Amino acid sequence: MHKENTSRIRHLLLGFFAGLTITYIIILSFCCVSSEAAILLMIFDFLFVSLVFQLDGTFVKKIMLLLVGNVIGLLWNSVFYSFAYVAVYYFGEFFNVLHIILNPLLNLVWVVSFWSISLSVLASSKNKGASELDG
Amino acid sequence: MVEILETLFVVLTVLMVAYLIRHFIFTLAVLNHTYKRKKAAVTAKNMTYQPLVSILIPAHDEQRVIGRILQGMTRLTYPKDKMQVIVIDDASKDNTGDIVEEYAHIYNYIKIIHRNQREGGKGKASALNTGLKQAEGEIILCFDADYYPQKDIIEKLVLEFTDPNVGAVQGKVTVLNEPQNLVTRLVALERIGGYRVDQQARDSLGLITQFGGTVGGFRRSLLKSLGGWDESILAEDTDLTFRVYLAGYKIRYVNDAECYEEAVENWRDYWKQRHRWAKGHMQCFFKHSLKVLKSGNLRFKEKIDGLLLLNVYFMPVLMLLSWITGTSLFFLKSSQWLSMFWTLIPISLYSFVGNFAPFFEVGVGAYLDGRTRAYWLIPFLIFMFLYNIPICTKALADLLISKISGKNGNNWEKTTRSGNGNSYILN
Repeated sequence: MHKENTSRIRHLLLGFFAGLTITYIIILSFCCVSSEAAILLMIFDFLFVSLVFQLDGTFVKKIMLLLVGNVIGLLWNSVFYSFAYVAVYYFGEFFNVLHIILNPLLNLVWVVSFWSISLSVLASSKNKGASELDG
Repeated sequence: MVEILETLFVVLTVLMVAYLIRHFIFTLAVLNHTYKRKKAAVTAKNMTYQPLVSILIPAHDEQRVIGRILQGMTRLTYPKDKMQVIVIDDASKDNTGDIVEEYAHIYNYIKIIHRNQREGGKGKASALNTGLKQAEGEIILCFDADYYPQKDIIEKLVLEFTDPNVGAVQGKVTVLNEPQNLVTRLVALERIGGYRVDQQARDSLGLITQFGGTVGGFRRSLLKSLGGWDESILAEDTDLTFRVYLAGYKIRYVNDAECYEEAVENWRDYWKQRHRWAKGHMQCFFKHSLKVLKSGNLRFKEKIDGLLLLNVYFMPVLMLLSWITGTSLFFLKSSQWLSMFWTLIPISLYSFVGNFAPFFEVGVGAYLDGRTRAYWLIPFLIFMFLYNIPICTKALADLLISKISGKNGNNWEKTTRSGNGNSYILN
């Protein structure tokens, strides 16, 4: 139990360091990323590190999930921003309004889905570890 | 006009973020509780405290499920000479009474109270008060008719009453018919968020642990002194929760004391059940908010948590209002800085999904319970939330109309049970 706690705290500390680094990079790239997307990514990183990094699983797996989550978030926003840009150019201002109103909801789709996938990945490694021990 | 809308939008967003932070703290508390080194303590197995326990089961047209819970009662490991099971047949028109009579004939600790059409059918609180008059136990436990208890659940619940400051206790509710369809699966996820995380966290942090109306109970002396259940409130459980805390007692949550419920199976029944919960909860808000603020028996953190708990069913309505306000502000060309608040809305939105537990809380709860396959359904909880917006809005409108017109609109709409949960019990 003591060993588990130590490893949990170590993962948390390293996770926060990684999260801070990613946040710094996001802030630096504010010119390329919309402010809404940047804020959402920072909230996602904070929640992910604080909660998911406490669960079972290797640190490498957790940090990879955090990085993949950020990449998906950035790509997701770029894709939808591009769609909105093209739609506004060809069809008018209405699509800009639509994009702004729906963008927060669309962002939530990747956040929640990725959260589910991350838990599945960590749970599968946990179960695998348990079955190896049983074996 | 724009300034008023901006202020409203900011206030609503701040309120939603407050809930988000609350649930984040809950999730952290549960993780901490789970990983904490457990102290050696008295367990249900080696306990010597075995008071007389009265178990109340209100039943109104429950012929499909009543046999199941009575079978569960006969399997309990608690000494039968210290146990009294009272079924209140609340003006049933089906065979509920006959089924209970059969059990009462075989097992002397099972009793039945028949309420005729004139005195019965007035709701759960009324039926429970009738049962309370006949109850002789030092501890009064309540179970809904569609539940199925663990064998040693009474020992686990009763153990908490060894602390004289504990006035009531609440066990864990798990969905029995989870694999049935999408609705039952989503309700199961709500339950994970509501019990495994919310209730456990409130208990660990010393906040307002909620009595859920079933799988729990009270000291009889306290219940009598409080005057039993309030029949004018639809959420009689939430009402009693606050009355217990205002009287200076605590409610403990026992995660190990598990009971299985038959969840609603379709959206129509979900609407009926949640509409009743929402309206009842709103009644409690008007009844208890000021008392909570003024109470000398509650600590500051309990007051804050109590107010947030009382307000929770207003949140889907306020969320809708914030979305409308935010969109209006966009068209009215308001300040740029509001876009930051606009971003917070969707994250907050998931804070009130279903049973008002956010995605990260439900996810961690499912992880801790080892419910691997449940993760995939978390994104679908958005439908529960969207469905809760009209439910809570209608509940608020109904409540306001009944307050203005002075008419009592407290019709207890019974949740229909199919009995399909029986097939999930392993003998």
